[in-house]
Amino acid sequence: MPDYVIVIIILAVLFLVPVVWFIATMNSLRRLKVKVNEAESGIDVALTKRFDVLSKMVDTVKGYTKHEAETFEKVVKWRQNMPDEMTVKQKEEFMEKMNQVQADLNVVVENYPDLKAEKVFTNLQRSIGDVEEHLQASRRMYNANVSRLNSRIVSFPTILVAKQIHMEKQPFFEAEPSKRQDVKMSF
Amino acid sequence: MQKDLAPYQKRKNMAEIGFVAGFLFIIVFVVLNVAFEYMTFYALFLIIGILLVLFGIGLFQWTQRKFKQEFLKTYLSDLIENGEFVPRKGFSRVQGLQPIDVYRSEFIEQADRFYSYDYLHGIIDGIKFESSDVHLQRLEYRTYTDSKGNTRRKRQYVTYFKGRVFQFDFNKNFDGCVLVLERYRPRSSRKYKKVDLESVDFNKKFKTYTTKEHTAFYILTPHFMESLMKVEKDNPGNVGFSFIDNKLYFALHKNRSTFSLRPFRKIDDRYLKSIHDEVEMIYEMVDDLKLNRNIFKEDS
Repeated sequence: MPDYVIVIIILAVLFLVPVVWFIATMNSLRRLKVKVNEAESGIDVALTKRFDVLSKMVDTVKGYTKHEAETFEKVVKWRQNMPDEMTVKQKEEFMEKMNQVQADLNVVVENYPDLKAEKVFTNLQRSIGDVEEHLQASRRMYNANVSRLNSRIVSFPTILVAKQIHMEKQPFFEAEPSKRQDVKMSF
Repeated sequence: MQKDLAPYQKRKNMAEIGFVAGFLFIIVFVVLNVAFEYMTFYALFLIIGILLVLFGIGLFQWTQRKFKQEFLKTYLSDLIENGEFVPRKGFSRVQGLQPIDVYRSEFIEQADRFYSYDYLHGIIDGIKFESSDVHLQRLEYRTYTDSKGNTRRKRQYVTYFKGRVFQFDFNKNFDGCVLVLERYRPRSSRKYKKVDLESVDFNKKFKTYTTKEHTAFYILTPHFMESLMKVEKDNPGNVGFSFIDNKLYFALHKNRSTFSLRPFRKIDDRYLKSIHDEVEMIYEMVDDLKLNRNIFKEDS
């Protein structure tokens, strides 16, 4: 084989290896980003479900206390003023507002034992417990994917590709421990 | 209790004495043949030896059968609500048969030789469970060179699972399937994908596969992961879990039968305690994994 052919092959390989690596890394980062987006939409679904169940619960307790219904009305209004596509921060806020309503409802239930005995209400309580579990699962799944994506983005040499395709670190979906304790279900 | 066990212990002693005596007769036969000139009557030692060994083995197996059918059946049903122990019954190897087939767990490899026995089912803290000893072997071919230099192939059955398989009712309804495996891998036509959870320790210990990522996070809460780690710590390297169709399957490889009598080991309170511990382990599983917290299911 002539020398110049070997030189061409070496140059081609030297050029191709970084290109292939760049494309592969870019694709894997984009796949991770898609997973983050999927997980985030899982949070949306769980938040919506929780909102629906909470609204049913508030309807049920209306006859017992007006305060909770008013608090919930405020949450509804707040949600209406938000864009359809909320940021992670806004979703956190939405969740915290619902936590507050739920914590208030728990207090109502403690004060009205009749309510605890109502089958419709106990079914709703069970549903909200399940929805809460799904929400936690979605939150953890989102954070696990964000963690994976962020740790790849900040490590060298992947950071070079991330900068080229304008991929940035994604925010975690935080839930303050104190707020999470508030929503502990009391069965 | 000791009084109830005495007849079985007595028969087991006889079986063991027969076996040892037979073995000694065979040794005497060998020694006589090697040390002295061959005489026909030496064969008597061999015949008596073989007969005694066969007698010992036969009596041991008969005692074991009687012990399981008469004593353990009552003993275990007293320890478990609605408990039933059927020594000669086991999990099936064919789909659709009752009790459940062992491959439903989706991580146990199809066996070339299949044994299942000591079926136990019942209810613990309101949770239905079924369990059975399972012994699985695969056929392997080993090539070796004989003394004449010829290459030969030897067929042999190798045990790859010997232990107990459990099926529990699970406390959550879920879509999709999740496998939490230590030494196994998925064996199913379903498209399982490996998923990493947020716990580094858990990911180091187990490989988690699922058909739906959300379900893995839904079932494997941080507390539940800790409980699975605890079960693993008690049985290192030998456990596998799967969550399919609202059931939990748990396989524990022990390399021994759970309820079988062991030669030269007394059937006494210590032995009964080991049986009691096996049942206690099922109680602990239900409690540790909070299977009895059925809060997300409709009252049935």
